[in-house]
Amino acid sequence: MIDRLANRGVAHAYVRSRDQLGRIPFWARVIAILAVVGGAVLLNGDDYVTAVAVTVATYAMLGLGLNIVVGYAGLLDLGYAAFFAIGAYTSSLLMTEAHWNFFATLPLAVLFTGTAGAILGYPTLRLRSDYLAIVTLGFGEMTRITFNNWDYAGGPNGILQIPWPNFFGYELNTQGDFLIVGLVLLAVAMIFARNLDHSRLGRGWVAIREDEFAAESVGVPSLRLKLFAYVMGGMWGGLAGAFFATRIGAIDPTSFTFQLSVLVLIVIVLGGTGSLPGVLVGALVVVAMPEVLREFADRRLLIFAVLLIGMMLLRPQGLWPRIRRKPKPFYGLQEEESEDVADRILREHQVQMEERERRHAAAGRQVPQKGEALLEIEGLVQQFGGLRAVDNVTFEVRRGEIFSIIGPNGGGKTTLFNCITGVQKPKRGKIRFDGRSVVGLRPHVIVSRGIGRTFQGIRLFKNMAVFENVMVGLYPRHRTMTWQTMLHTPGERKDEVRTLQESRRWLGFVGLESVAGRLATELSYADQRRVEIARALAAHPHLVLFDEPAAGMNPTEKLELVSIIRKIRDLGITVVLIDHDMSLVMRVSDRIAVLDHGVLIALGKPAEIQQNPAVIEAYLGREEDLLEDKAQGA
Amino acid sequence: MGAFLQYTVIGLTVGSFYALVALGYTIVYGIIRLINFAQGDLSMVGAFLGWTLLVSFGFQRLPLYLALIIAFVVPMLGTAAVNIVILQFAYKPLLRKSLLAILITALGMSLLLQNTAELIWGPSIQAYPPNLLPSTGFFMGPVHVTYVQLALVFVSLLLMGGMVLFVQGTTVGTAMRALAVDHDAARLMGINVDGIIRLAFVLGAMLAAASGVMLGLYYVQIQFTMGFLLGLRAFTAAVLGGIGNIPGAMAGGMLIGLLESYTTGYLSGSWKDVIVFGVLITVLIVKPTGLFGERVAERM
Ligand SMILES: Nc1ncnc2c1ncn2[C@@H]1O[C@H](COP(=O)(O)OP(=O)(O)O)[C@@H](O)[C@H]1O
Ligand SMILES: [Mg+2]
Repeated sequence: MIDRLANRGVAHAYVRSRDQLGRIPFWARVIAILAVVGGAVLLNGDDYVTAVAVTVATYAMLGLGLNIVVGYAGLLDLGYAAFFAIGAYTSSLLMTEAHWNFFATLPLAVLFTGTAGAILGYPTLRLRSDYLAIVTLGFGEMTRITFNNWDYAGGPNGILQIPWPNFFGYELNTQGDFLIVGLVLLAVAMIFARNLDHSRLGRGWVAIREDEFAAESVGVPSLRLKLFAYVMGGMWGGLAGAFFATRIGAIDPTSFTFQLSVLVLIVIVLGGTGSLPGVLVGALVVVAMPEVLREFADRRLLIFAVLLIGMMLLRPQGLWPRIRRKPKPFYGLQEEESEDVADRILREHQVQMEERERRHAAAGRQVPQKGEALLEIEGLVQQFGGLRAVDNVTFEVRRGEIFSIIGPNGGGKTTLFNCITGVQKPKRGKIRFDGRSVVGLRPHVIVSRGIGRTFQGIRLFKNMAVFENVMVGLYPRHRTMTWQTMLHTPGERKDEVRTLQESRRWLGFVGLESVAGRLATELSYADQRRVEIARALAAHPHLVLFDEPAAGMNPTEKLELVSIIRKIRDLGITVVLIDHDMSLVMRVSDRIAVLDHGVLIALGKPAEIQQNPAVIEAYLGREEDLLEDKAQGA
Repeated sequence: MGAFLQYTVIGLTVGSFYALVALGYTIVYGIIRLINFAQGDLSMVGAFLGWTLLVSFGFQRLPLYLALIIAFVVPMLGTAAVNIVILQFAYKPLLRKSLLAILITALGMSLLLQNTAELIWGPSIQAYPPNLLPSTGFFMGPVHVTYVQLALVFVSLLLMGGMVLFVQGTTVGTAMRALAVDHDAARLMGINVDGIIRLAFVLGAMLAAASGVMLGLYYVQIQFTMGFLLGLRAFTAAVLGGIGNIPGAMAGGMLIGLLESYTTGYLSGSWKDVIVFGVLITVLIVKPTGLFGERVAERM
């Protein structure tokens, strides 16, 4: 709603004050707000209110952890209570059996939950995302039942008389003490979460949530990132569990049921998945509402169920959504003249190229020079059931050329791209890039080798801003570590500014800087295609594969596209283009290959292709196909 | 050996209930790729509808065969109606949107069914008429088999067999299988896609309701929470057999039933769910397409 007001321009004053507020660093805002809330609750002095506040803080912490898994990475985890349980049991057992100090148990509690997350996550995260929901649900139940049957941990009775935490000689034993500890932990969790959100890692997660396949294809190592999200969310839950155990003083398996996992899920869905303030709002609603509306307390699950379904149907973004649109995404960045932009990109690209040649030379490999074969395809076969989509195709693409692949629909062109980019494993044949085989590599590895691509059906990250889409494309270019991200270190900041700057340059390169802050879906079809091109270029590839980039464009837009393709070639990047628009292909290409029914029927210069009888036959023989292509705009 | 056979009989009986619910999962998943978390709870709804008819309405005093027909048919129809309302109201608007949203909605639906049932039928355990069915049986060597067990397995097999014949042998069934492969192509071929989806929900709910009534008759005690674990075990069965694969779901249900029965018999009842979920996770890791292969074409 806030968003809508701003759009209508009704609340200028509000927007201005929000902008000013926006200049205060996030951590300062978090500490201020939590300090005020905590102060108010403590001054009030009512033990009951304080206890409720501590519970809200616990749920908020759990929510922040689950938010990473569900909100950012888009993995539905229905067994989150298991992590809460493992953290609680680890800490409690260390305190009761080994007489450790509470604070000393925290690292181990976090470590154990993290390990559990990694062990479960590693094999299961490659499954379809809906299977994951069930697997995590099963894991949650298994963990609870295991604790229930485990005599050392007290079996069904659990662990009693967990000591109070001792902080340098001061025993924390009132609800007020726990509120302070809880709020400090919450503040730290909030700040870490925010830093993750606005980082390379956070963008990678959201990209996976939006379109895992596209994310992997532009260089995001999706499996590793999903595991990361899962483990990190688990660690958060472990921390909250340890805190919960010492605060309550006794735990048993019934504290860690499926219901708890669902409640935490409701916390983040109500607030808005992916939104940090939303987690606080959600925790407040889930914990405080049943306390305030006593008469409904018995029916709270019924109410939550209705809320959950209602939110998904009517307001899936939540009560306090994370807004990804940004009116001025490049605010505060140094302005660059437009002449300058192309220049800088060129220089940057040359730096990249030289670095690559050095790397190759160091490894004793020859880099193909201009005019030599950059991409070699030899005897490539791809088969779906009885259908040979690519049938024994051999050709090479030379460095620095614009190479087009044409042919009737279903000819196997996209399949060829999918084989080159590692989306599919070819049945037979060799694909060499830079003299090295790329068959069997995961798509993101192939991206880091220097191949970028766009998709026939546009696959942008729909709910991310345009500039963020391009920033995701920059993922493979940086090496920031997670801890740097969480602490928002100077090195990480510098990387972020550079990433932002480069995304702006690439958007300038395709002529879209003015719409950088809009959501990707808000752009026209042609502009979305250009964003995809910018995203593919952002990693400074040596070879780009464009799958029908002109589809759905009007003649003016096609002209612009031609000039962009030429500009790309002028950077020294080799272009492989699939398109149906003959005049465009003939105008821009150095060489053309024709695929028909998976077979390479011709290869040569545009003029030769136009004269080639086999090509004419393939096209004229199937006039209906061509008409159909046009009708579908494909 | 005697004990082993005895556990086998129990396992097959329970397994046939799971198989029915698993069949519902598999049909719905095969067609719209939705894990309908509410599937187990539909079974619970069926069980309570049957209980209401038999106990509250006193139909248990009717002649046995009449009472049984009513206690099966009415809950199956009622639950089907509930599932259609769920489909139209909650899932339909989300079908073409994000997978996450629809999964969360399905989860919410499961919660909603449970808590509505608690509101209507109360939180305590309710009992099916214990003496409705004869508790007699016969000995096959050392193994005791009750007539009830035999009858329940027989009814399950009848329902499952009907299902297989329907899907394999009728035009509507063929349309269902076409839909499982490709919605758009099926639409182009003139198949009424929405109608088929509704049909899948009706069939899924009817199978679930039947299994719910059977559980009530077999175990006597029912409670509003009974759908949760039932659903989870049945889903495991569906995955074990290969999701979308109808004979696979049946075999998977029997396997889970046997596994559970052996674990209870030889180890301890408190570990059985750990074993079942352990199997689920292992199968998904080692052979995600299930023992008998899934029948869902993976699209990109
Ligand atoms: N994942 C897949 N599974 C089965 N068949 C496929 C798959 N991808 C493509 N095909 C088939 O392979 C053939 C070539 O498709 P494609 O490469 O998309 O052609 P083009 O891009 O030249 O139009 C088509 O007949 C298509 O139906
Ligand atoms: Mg294509």
